[in-house]
Amino acid sequence: MTAAPHQETRTAVPPVDRPPGRGSPGRLGLPWRRSPKRSSDTLAAYVFLAPALIGFTAFVVYPLFRSAYFALTTYNGLTDPKFVGLDNFHRMFTTDPSFWPSVRATLLLVVLYVPLSLAIGLALAVFCNQRMRGVGLLRTLCYLPVVLPVVATITLWKFVFNPQVGLANQVLKWFHLPTSEWLSGDDSAMPSIVIVMLWSVGSTMIIFLAALQAVPTELYEAARLDGAGPRTVFFRITLPLISPIMILQVVLQMVTALQAFNQPKILSPDNQGGPGFSTRTLMLSIYDNGFPKLGQVSQFGYASAQVWVLFLVIVVVIAATARFSSIWTYSDHVS
Amino acid sequence: MKRWIRCAGVLLSAGGLLATAACGGSSGKQSDGKVTVTLMTWESAATNKAIDQALTGFHDPNITVKRVDTPNGNYSDKLAALTQAKKLPDLFWCGNDTEQQYTSQGLLTDWASRLSGSSDFGASSFVSSTMKNWKTADGKIGGVPSLLNTYGIWYDIDAFKAAGITVPAAGWTWDQMFDAAAKLHAKGAKYGLVADALTSTDGPFSLSTYALSAGGKPFADNVHQPTRTTIDATYTEGVSKVVAGIKSGAIAPPGYDISNQQGLFAAGQIPMLWSGQWFAAGFLTDKPKIKYGFAPLPQVTKPATLYDAVGICTPSYTQNADATFKVLKYLDSTVWTKVLPDSPVAAPAYLSAQNAYFGALDKAGQTTVAATVKAGLNTPTTIGVRFTTQWASQSNDLITAYWPDILNGKKPLSDLQTMTDKINDVIKNNS
Repeated sequence: MTAAPHQETRTAVPPVDRPPGRGSPGRLGLPWRRSPKRSSDTLAAYVFLAPALIGFTAFVVYPLFRSAYFALTTYNGLTDPKFVGLDNFHRMFTTDPSFWPSVRATLLLVVLYVPLSLAIGLALAVFCNQRMRGVGLLRTLCYLPVVLPVVATITLWKFVFNPQVGLANQVLKWFHLPTSEWLSGDDSAMPSIVIVMLWSVGSTMIIFLAALQAVPTELYEAARLDGAGPRTVFFRITLPLISPIMILQVVLQMVTALQAFNQPKILSPDNQGGPGFSTRTLMLSIYDNGFPKLGQVSQFGYASAQVWVLFLVIVVVIAATARFSSIWTYSDHVS
Repeated sequence: MKRWIRCAGVLLSAGGLLATAACGGSSGKQSDGKVTVTLMTWESAATNKAIDQALTGFHDPNITVKRVDTPNGNYSDKLAALTQAKKLPDLFWCGNDTEQQYTSQGLLTDWASRLSGSSDFGASSFVSSTMKNWKTADGKIGGVPSLLNTYGIWYDIDAFKAAGITVPAAGWTWDQMFDAAAKLHAKGAKYGLVADALTSTDGPFSLSTYALSAGGKPFADNVHQPTRTTIDATYTEGVSKVVAGIKSGAIAPPGYDISNQQGLFAAGQIPMLWSGQWFAAGFLTDKPKIKYGFAPLPQVTKPATLYDAVGICTPSYTQNADATFKVLKYLDSTVWTKVLPDSPVAAPAYLSAQNAYFGALDKAGQTTVAATVKAGLNTPTTIGVRFTTQWASQSNDLITAYWPDILNGKKPLSDLQTMTDKINDVIKNNS
């Protein structure tokens, strides 16, 4: 799908009406020096910004640089960090038996979850975008899992997937279908986790719904007058017009999948990404190394190195998505 | 606008003060000269209440005991955070592994000199194997053992009768256990035996009891200061029997979710369960509908069992070592005698306190539990349940990479050697 950037032509920056005596810098510039009120407003702005700036510095900037340093050390939290250069990265890529399985588990999660969440979210949004009785209730029901407490919901799913007494296998038995080991099986554990993540697909749906409702109705009317059927309308009008939102959703869902933690942590039988390494996502691996089981020593240095690998993966994925999105995204902007 | 700025400043200051207050210390000397000793446990709310009640019996005009309220979930996270902040309470529940690691880093108070000699709270007043395990290579004792875990097999008497099998008893063999698991499975149980201890990352250590019982070598020569791991013929034989059991469906495979295993056993869904004695306390309150018993771990030719103890540690920066030791002594010698009668969770390591535990079991009719725990404590051949070293998580990852696949038959038994070779590399690199 190519862009169609010719709906309207926007000229250069529109003229701005400046309030007399406030915005015009004049020849000398720096009007705040001459205006005590402006000076007071600027100061107030900085004061109000201060909590956010302090918070951002303390909880984002400082930990970012600190973790970059820790990534080059062995640090267990008990003794001082010891600089080891790139040893953590060497161990990660060569000798750690859990790293590549973690990467594989994360990629499997991305491959399973992202397309399914987009497809189901869009399908629900299209369904809920119709004019019919009870559509409000339907939308509420679809969105309800998103507002429920996450940990409680995931814990309930753990009971649902219990192979011996869980609801999932009971339902399969009622229909005389083969049962599954669900979270206890090497091959079924990750798909089971994806099912639980899809339980909250309402958040995807609600954004798609907003996008669908922003599509001008006159385009649909014009298409119908031209004899277009529902399928043609959807693929030729709806989908292109919501493609920018689709890109947003792709990025959001990919980041969600790459950072998946709650579900594998709570659902895996050993709470450490089991069976084996089948559900040990990178985020969970980082957590397990940083905050291991009682009796094991933290590996903050190694966990920090993993954090940077995950961070770079996310940056690359988002940058690639943004870079190539223009190929198939609709835009009415003139470049 | 100035008023706005002033308000914002006041709010920021208040926030800062609140944050500072939240990081306040946990122990020390009060203005009236009394000493406060702080305590942190991983126990449930009910057990903590019982401990609080028992601590009211501690009388020292100069000492106040204050328990730091801690949810029993995520204790490890709380412990790690307090350790890094150097805000550990004067006494905190710890495992043998934490004690060994923290002591080797100089983070704990060494009680070795206070425990030496033949006083009523000397090393000789504890189960001998525990004191040996709690002593580091350089002779330090960073904590005092409090409770001992004993492992065995919980069995459903009715399920055994229905399958025509004799219930397990001391001296029963591994082959009898595998045979019983197969028959119970054939009789309709999803799995005849659930043994997470064999299939999880602790599995290589648990299966050492097979090798040791058959006269072979354990998986690790020492769990505290190992020099190497070994797989010999008897060990491989034991693993092959577990593999066969898993393949036939008689034994639950690796990955089986044990989070609800106690409830499933009590509901008659698991006929045979490898676990610890601590279920007994829960069964006293929950009253399972099934008739059950608790048998010692099976053997090949001689008994062999697992060693596992928990205890109480003290940080090296405790301000009141004398007062802390007094409270520690009271906890180990007296508190358990008051708590265990209502909740017989484990046998105390302090010998004089054991009567309270076994008395409670006898009173509750838990005769098989009492007998099995006594047998476990008296078994001379033991192996620790897991490595207690700083690099244990690295060896755990290697075990995770091989052990489940070997048990599931996805990797050959010969990979046991590959696994041990790689763990030996880790040992070598960290020695």
